[in-house]
Amino acid sequence: MAQAVSAKSPTPQIAWHGESVTIGDVLSALGGIRRKAAQAEAGDEAHPHPRNCVMTLVAVATSDADERRAQRAALAIAAQHPSLAIVVCEEPSVRTGRIDASIATHPLSASSASKAQCDIVSLRVPGATGEHLAALVDPLLISGVPTYLWWLDTPPFGTKELVDALRICDALVVDSSRFDRPYNSFLGLADLALHSHERLGVADLQWARLASWRETIAQFFEPKERRPFMGGIAELGIDYVGEGRGNRIAAALLIGWFASALGWKVQRAVGGAGGVVVAHFATENGRQLEVAFRSVPKTHLAQGEISAVRIGGASAGSTFRMSVQRDPERQSRLTSDVGPSEFQRRFNAGGEDEAGLEIAERKALQQRDVLARNRESLHHTATGDLPGEPGQGSGVLVRDRRRGGNPLVLLTQIDLGDAETLRLVQNIESQDEPTLLLELLSTGAHDPVYMRSLGAAAKLMRAL
Amino acid sequence: MRYRRRRSDLRAPSGLAPRTTSAGTPKESQLGRHLPAERGGYKAIDPNPLAEGLHDYRVGDPLVMVIFGATGDLSGRKLLPAIYNLAKQRLLPAGFAVVGAAIDDLTDDGFRKHAEDVITKFSRTQPVDPQVLRAFLASVFYVKVDFSKLDDFKALARKIDDLDHARHIGGNRVYYCATPPPTYETITEQLKAAGLVRSPGFDRIVVEKPFGSDLKSARELSQILQRVFHEDSVYRIDHYLGKETVQNILAFRFANSLFEPVWNSNLIDSVQITAAEEIGVEMRGAYYERAGALRDIVQNHALQLVALVAMEPPVAFEATTVRDEKVKVLRAIRPILDGDVATSTVRGQYTKGWVLGEEVIGYREEHAVAPGSLTETFAALRLFIDNWRWANVPFYIRVGKRMPKRATEIRVQFKRPPHMTFEAAKDLDPNAITLRIQPEEGISLRFGAKVPSAGVRLRNVAMDFDYMSSFLVETPEAYERLLLDCMIGDPTLFTRADEVEAAWKFIDPIEAAWRDDRPPLSMYAAGTWGPVAADKLIEANGREWHRP
Repeated sequence: MAQAVSAKSPTPQIAWHGESVTIGDVLSALGGIRRKAAQAEAGDEAHPHPRNCVMTLVAVATSDADERRAQRAALAIAAQHPSLAIVVCEEPSVRTGRIDASIATHPLSASSASKAQCDIVSLRVPGATGEHLAALVDPLLISGVPTYLWWLDTPPFGTKELVDALRICDALVVDSSRFDRPYNSFLGLADLALHSHERLGVADLQWARLASWRETIAQFFEPKERRPFMGGIAELGIDYVGEGRGNRIAAALLIGWFASALGWKVQRAVGGAGGVVVAHFATENGRQLEVAFRSVPKTHLAQGEISAVRIGGASAGSTFRMSVQRDPERQSRLTSDVGPSEFQRRFNAGGEDEAGLEIAERKALQQRDVLARNRESLHHTATGDLPGEPGQGSGVLVRDRRRGGNPLVLLTQIDLGDAETLRLVQNIESQDEPTLLLELLSTGAHDPVYMRSLGAAAKLMRAL
Repeated sequence: MRYRRRRSDLRAPSGLAPRTTSAGTPKESQLGRHLPAERGGYKAIDPNPLAEGLHDYRVGDPLVMVIFGATGDLSGRKLLPAIYNLAKQRLLPAGFAVVGAAIDDLTDDGFRKHAEDVITKFSRTQPVDPQVLRAFLASVFYVKVDFSKLDDFKALARKIDDLDHARHIGGNRVYYCATPPPTYETITEQLKAAGLVRSPGFDRIVVEKPFGSDLKSARELSQILQRVFHEDSVYRIDHYLGKETVQNILAFRFANSLFEPVWNSNLIDSVQITAAEEIGVEMRGAYYERAGALRDIVQNHALQLVALVAMEPPVAFEATTVRDEKVKVLRAIRPILDGDVATSTVRGQYTKGWVLGEEVIGYREEHAVAPGSLTETFAALRLFIDNWRWANVPFYIRVGKRMPKRATEIRVQFKRPPHMTFEAAKDLDPNAITLRIQPEEGISLRFGAKVPSAGVRLRNVAMDFDYMSSFLVETPEAYERLLLDCMIGDPTLFTRADEVEAAWKFIDPIEAAWRDDRPPLSMYAAGTWGPVAADKLIEANGREWHRP
């Protein structure tokens, strides 16, 4: 897998490497590299263009795999945008007291007019990074452009170290779908976001993944004639993959977004049959509505991903229903073990190709087997348990929760009154990490809608 | 489901003079991120709370888009691929449908096949996504329409009605005339006769440039369109205005406090606008023979750039205010009349030469060009804007084909410092800001700096901003942007009738003098920056053309 990705990625040139060095050494090496690049670029013209730089991206990794992920993402971004990336990787504390560093340079893509190059500084540091991240990174930062701190796994929420690290940056970027102890970490993230200085941006790749759902839902309510429907929503259903409250983060964020946009307040939550949890909301004018969270088995989706959203209600004598399903071709038969629900009967997909379903089903089964095997070996690697030995955890590994790069097909079905069902299929290109990062960073990682959705989602998570 | 009638695109009652300004307009900040606001109409509607913060979210009401001339070149190369790419970006509303209308005898499936072919070939994004394409083609339909037959338009009306019911469209229509201007009259009249502009939603018509060939024909064209559609529903598309960098001129000027205080005759010496193409007339010889560089480029692109560079700050970035300010500039351009034409303008024509290392033929040898043709492929002019801000600042415009390279840029040249502190500064070029439109979109600021040495040596340095690499997002294609604007009902980037007319009013006297061979046609070798006369035009005032 890793090979396939890196084969597509541009190859960086290692311009410098040093072991047991200081940040001062790194800085002077970086200065030398930049001077050389500037001279090479200037050529006959004798005066180089001043450096053009968009941002500094500081990535914190705690494993080799994460370090490579960070480097790959930095490289993909660097191919388009002049920037500095600093990848900090924690080393196990065996070799305390030393920093190993390397600098890779990468020219911008040929299509760009600017000849600037991008630098990726990789630091391997002993001990817990958070403790001295600011001191490590601060001298390397480029002034005048924003600094983004991307924490690849779970930041140490609630610690002084994290607060200190955040002082040097403009925004913190995380992926809540990769959190260890997701429930607690998510609440930690919400606390941080709601109590930190307003200048600090907080962004979550998981939120960026929800953009296509939000767009599709917003589009339904866009025509003026349908605006009143927003006030007439009576029930909402959301299906997500995986058991347990830790897998409900994406669903809670989406519902948190709804609630905060439309002024709903969560009242209480009750468990229902078949793993369904129903949250009761009250609207601003006191109307009640229900949101059903349902865990569904979907082998082709990662744990925690949303697989369907259904909205129904009535306004001014007209009823409406809309549903958005993810990867509709792959479901139907696969979900038949869940039993046909009221919604499924109403939203009979219709027109699905039987042969396609057959193939999809077979693929899914195959994938399930591969997954099971992978999970076993991963589990073994991660925990040291013998293969096949169940270990004491729930068996859901963090890596399982997020498989990047799945293309996404959204099928929207709209029923207005008694009219024929309107179907819209939308393809969402694979949302790999660099793409999502760019999406978040292009807004400076300050998104008030995310902040309010996060607040509402945290409240909801606590209630569920 | 019932649809309320909307008053968004009121048609002018026949016999009334067309209104050229609208009563209230969509307020959208299109530079950068948009908050969804009043869309599509002039009746305020609250922003969609669910769309807040979705920064590429621009979706209008469902609609049927009818493309006249759907099997033609423009439709195939630009429109269908652009609409497909909008679908790919998920910017089309559920229910959206395209109806191709042309003379060819095709079925829905036949037209879909054609659409598939052209999209696969011309789409900006490659490779084409088969799933998106399949879903998109399912919303594509075809009706054979002979523009002279009312019955065909009635059949079109039935098709549209059927689609409207099946797809909850609410009577919203956009008619895109991807046909030559002479057909506009027939099409609009037939639309009216077939009852196609009486729908409960909006009816908009999109027409392509040229918008007439002089003031008289431009007015006639406007009248033809306004007999059936209200001016607010007429979208004159000039793809140039859809370019990000063109819009960025406004952001540069009005989103910064640094530049506007110096943007006037106190500090600006002159402005140069260059629109150079390396290509010749290619297969457009027949059209070009009638048009020439003045009508083909100066009347629209170059004067639009003048307007954007010179306009006063509009109160908001919205259709009425922006276009009002542009029109004021166009009206303030001092006319170049009779005797002045010979001294203030240059017309040129390319002869054979070398472009980008290839030997090319002269204009008169081109396909469908008369051997003794006097049509200009190059135009240069010096104009003045008679208002407080720009008094006595010359604007030099130079456009041409078969120049050394493709380059469009605006160069704002500042005056020299009033006092020379440094002896060495005498050799320094004055400050300049260059707005590069294409290629390598960006902005460059030139200033003097001290060369590191014991003495004082000064040299020019450039501070460059590169548009493509400085943002963490992709630049959208001009046609996609404009089609979307039209669907949403935002005419800011479309040309209004009075703009077109003001531009022709300036061009007509020049064109008339040129027809009398004043000034005489100057020849230039292909692959050069135009005739010597153009250099003389600017050198007469002690300036010189900037080489892009």
